[in-house]
Amino acid sequence: MSLELALLAWGTFVGLDLVTVPQVMIARPIVAGPLAGLILGDVWTGLAVGMLFELFQYDVLPVGAARYPEYGPATVAAVTAAHAAAGPLGIGLGAVVGLVTALAGGISIHVVRRLNARAMHAASDRLEAGDTRALMRLHAAGIGRDAARAALVTGLGLALARLARDIVAVPLTVRGATWLSVAAVGAALAAAAAGTLRVVGRGPSLRWFAAGLVGGAALAWLR
Amino acid sequence: MSAPRRRRPGLGLSLLRLFAVQGAYDYERMQGIGVGVAEEALLRDLRVAGDGAAYRAAVARGAHFFNAHPYLCGLAVGAAARAEHDGVPPAQVERLRAALCGPLGSLGDRLVWAGWLPLTSALAMMGVALGLDLWAVLGFLVVYNVGHVALRWWALRAGWNHGTRVAAALHQPVLQRAAALSGPAMAGAVGLALPLAAQYLTAPFPEQSRRALAVVAAGGFLLLWWRRGTLTGLRFGLTLLALAALAAWLWR
Repeated sequence: MSLELALLAWGTFVGLDLVTVPQVMIARPIVAGPLAGLILGDVWTGLAVGMLFELFQYDVLPVGAARYPEYGPATVAAVTAAHAAAGPLGIGLGAVVGLVTALAGGISIHVVRRLNARAMHAASDRLEAGDTRALMRLHAAGIGRDAARAALVTGLGLALARLARDIVAVPLTVRGATWLSVAAVGAALAAAAAGTLRVVGRGPSLRWFAAGLVGGAALAWLR
Repeated sequence: MSAPRRRRPGLGLSLLRLFAVQGAYDYERMQGIGVGVAEEALLRDLRVAGDGAAYRAAVARGAHFFNAHPYLCGLAVGAAARAEHDGVPPAQVERLRAALCGPLGSLGDRLVWAGWLPLTSALAMMGVALGLDLWAVLGFLVVYNVGHVALRWWALRAGWNHGTRVAAALHQPVLQRAAALSGPAMAGAVGLALPLAAQYLTAPFPEQSRRALAVVAAGGFLLLWWRRGTLTGLRFGLTLLALAALAAWLWR
């Protein structure tokens, strides 16, 4: 129970960091995952799942008011599911839980923004009168709303992880777990490559991307 | 040429509040409420000077619509607060804020979201893949945030120092050079990281699965590229996992 509370608290901080405060990038899966792994005493799973979702994150460019999946709390839930599945092939099960949670996280951000707009409308007269107290209260309530949202999303993810452990992981054969993991890593690599290429475009950076790929492949082959 | 220097009221408090600039983000005023909260710390001198009406009017203006890159909002906060102190007409302050949205958004997106962040994250992934484990993660947090906090602080100070002439700050050679270099650096680093990440993640896989993975990744990339704008990595991943789960259930 205390482990789940610690994961819930970590997921809430991670969810709050994405947009609201302080945007120091603990919301990045490469940070959220390993720390969740550390809480569970399984750093390798945390690093692997963190890296997997970091690859998915490259598909997202959070510009303007764009809607996007939330991979931070999703990574915390995914690490929990992968850890419960025990074994390196649990990464596929983690991906199932994480991607569903990321989808829910993205929707919840949209809902909170609409709630913020409603609260802003209710206080608009006071805001136009330059009422500092109303301004501060509105701002603090927005942060509180996002904290509650992040906690709910993380809670949902942890519930899904428990469900996956109890229902899905038991009948899953080694072959099935391998297929899920292959699908998860393949999709993550495809998303990262396509997302990066969209940002890089056809300009001079494309040559750098190609050179990097060749260099990385050579480095991987030499190891 | 910048406006003459004057005492800087509450820059530290304003900087702290800027870390929560998107605290009450909504689809109408966007970052307006957060920008208003950050700017209020710089407007208190107006109230202390006995001009309560000017203070309240400035606070109200500060909370109007604003949308830019969150790390660079400080530039608009500082510039607008300075303009209020300098007695610039309200309509001109509003125009200044409106004019800054586009350039600050565009610069921040290029410099941070499409440059510094993926660059440092790719370096972290390389570090993890090469065996640095948690040190790579810690290194990412430190290096990324040195740039992040420096950019926020620079933006706020530059806004306050330049006031209505803040456009000059955006043309600083260092900033332009950083924006120009961040794209190629990010592209090279992500290119390097992808094969290493693939190797790290597939280490526990049997040989045959690695070949299947190469086919899945290549096919998925082509599909995502062909259907860009409609098919996202998340939807593709969920579909692929559903298919894999179905196949695993049918072929037990």
